[in-house]
Amino acid sequence: MSTTLAIARREWRAQFASPLAWTVLAAMVALGAWLLLSGVESYGAQAARFAGRADAPGVTDLVVVPYFATLATLFVFVLPLLTMRSIVGERRDGTLPLLFAAGAGGRSIAVGKWLGALGAPAVLLLLLVLMPLSLGVGTTLDVGKIAVAALGLAALAGALCALGVLCSAWAQHPASAALAAMAAGTIGWIADAAARERGVTEGLIHWLALPGHLTAAMRGVLATVDLAYFALWVVLCLGLAALRLERLRETG
Amino acid sequence: MPPAPLIEAEGLSRRHGRREVLRGVSFTLAPDQVLGLLGVNGAGKSTLLRILAGVLAPDAGRLRIAGAELGADPRAARTRIGWLPERAPLYPELTVAESLVFAARLRGLGGAAARSAVERAVERCALGEVRNRLCGNLSRGFAQRAGLAQAIVHEPPVLLLDEPTAGLDPLQAQRFHELLATLKPGRAIVLSSHQLAEVQAGCDLAAVLHAGVLDSPAPPGDGRALSQRFMALALGSAA
Repeated sequence: MSTTLAIARREWRAQFASPLAWTVLAAMVALGAWLLLSGVESYGAQAARFAGRADAPGVTDLVVVPYFATLATLFVFVLPLLTMRSIVGERRDGTLPLLFAAGAGGRSIAVGKWLGALGAPAVLLLLLVLMPLSLGVGTTLDVGKIAVAALGLAALAGALCALGVLCSAWAQHPASAALAAMAAGTIGWIADAAARERGVTEGLIHWLALPGHLTAAMRGVLATVDLAYFALWVVLCLGLAALRLERLRETG
Repeated sequence: MPPAPLIEAEGLSRRHGRREVLRGVSFTLAPDQVLGLLGVNGAGKSTLLRILAGVLAPDAGRLRIAGAELGADPRAARTRIGWLPERAPLYPELTVAESLVFAARLRGLGGAAARSAVERAVERCALGEVRNRLCGNLSRGFAQRAGLAQAIVHEPPVLLLDEPTAGLDPLQAQRFHELLATLKPGRAIVLSSHQLAEVQAGCDLAAVLHAGVLDSPAPPGDGRALSQRFMALALGSAA
């Protein structure tokens, strides 16, 4: 366990030592601010339509939830940039033998890398969630719904980080790890698109696709089946990454 | 009574696919001994060192490190091994001191124990002047020393060095060997090389590894005998 935590700590540090992580954080916060302001502007234009209605949707439904939904899509393309170096970077720097010699197996390296890789996305998520909370100064927010939606985003981020670690374990270059993770994330995102086009909203393909597992969270409902789905992603990706690392240990 | 050996290897074999990389390698090494492992490129030196380091499992054979059976008690055995691969495993974004702290933490040392282990390793490997320098900015000589410091940070009785002076200039290589001599007391050191002079000058025993077979370790002598052994084994079969 101490080995896993040591690996996670170093990974966390390495992320913040990289200018790329800061650039991604700054760009995403700027983009998030723009999305949120656009949402507020659009809400201002629509507010008159709902005036006087008892069941009128509030700022949370019309501004915050769509903002979170857009962020979820962006995460598919942004998080691979933060995880791409996690294992392929070790291979390129020739530092994997240090971990192997200390007795770290594939599983503890993969888990340590994943825990460490969550660092920058966690900071990013915190900043992006704090922004809509600032709307609470001028209006009433459904904080519970926002918290559950943020939890859904966090679960998605965890799954995408695990995918990033897996792709980094297989790739020969950080850029190809990022591209592979983006491609796999996109497939996971649009897997049920054709089925949805035909109006089919049930079945295995629908269950496998990522967006369906955020729907409940965006409505403020915490569904354990969705959390289990993201946990399954994490376990599967880290398991495959561990197998790859064991193979790398054998081949040197 | 002679001291108990720190390395006891018995019949170690390993295949890579169809190729038999190591064939029944056996030897023992006592404290205060440095074994020079000679062999041409591809002879199996790195594979043998990786097996001795516990990174690679042998297909057959037994290995005891300072009394701990590597197969039965890998955790105990690994704590007694320090391994410096051919390319020192250093993180370019960490300073020398930080990478030593990381290596200590990987070995389960924390807090004050890690700090004192790092100070000891810095002092032993004469890294004081570069302790706050990023590893990515170290010269090759200092990088090897920093790698060696990582390998000894947990005070292992067994030290494995894979071509440690490859790429060093003669002065850096000489300094590295002087450093190694200070680490020798109480330790068993295995050093791989393809330079006869290096093994002759710095090792108590030498053994030639060729086509996966290790001949019996023997004192390197005046160099001529060692050279003849090396030529006979390494080139004889090719002739």
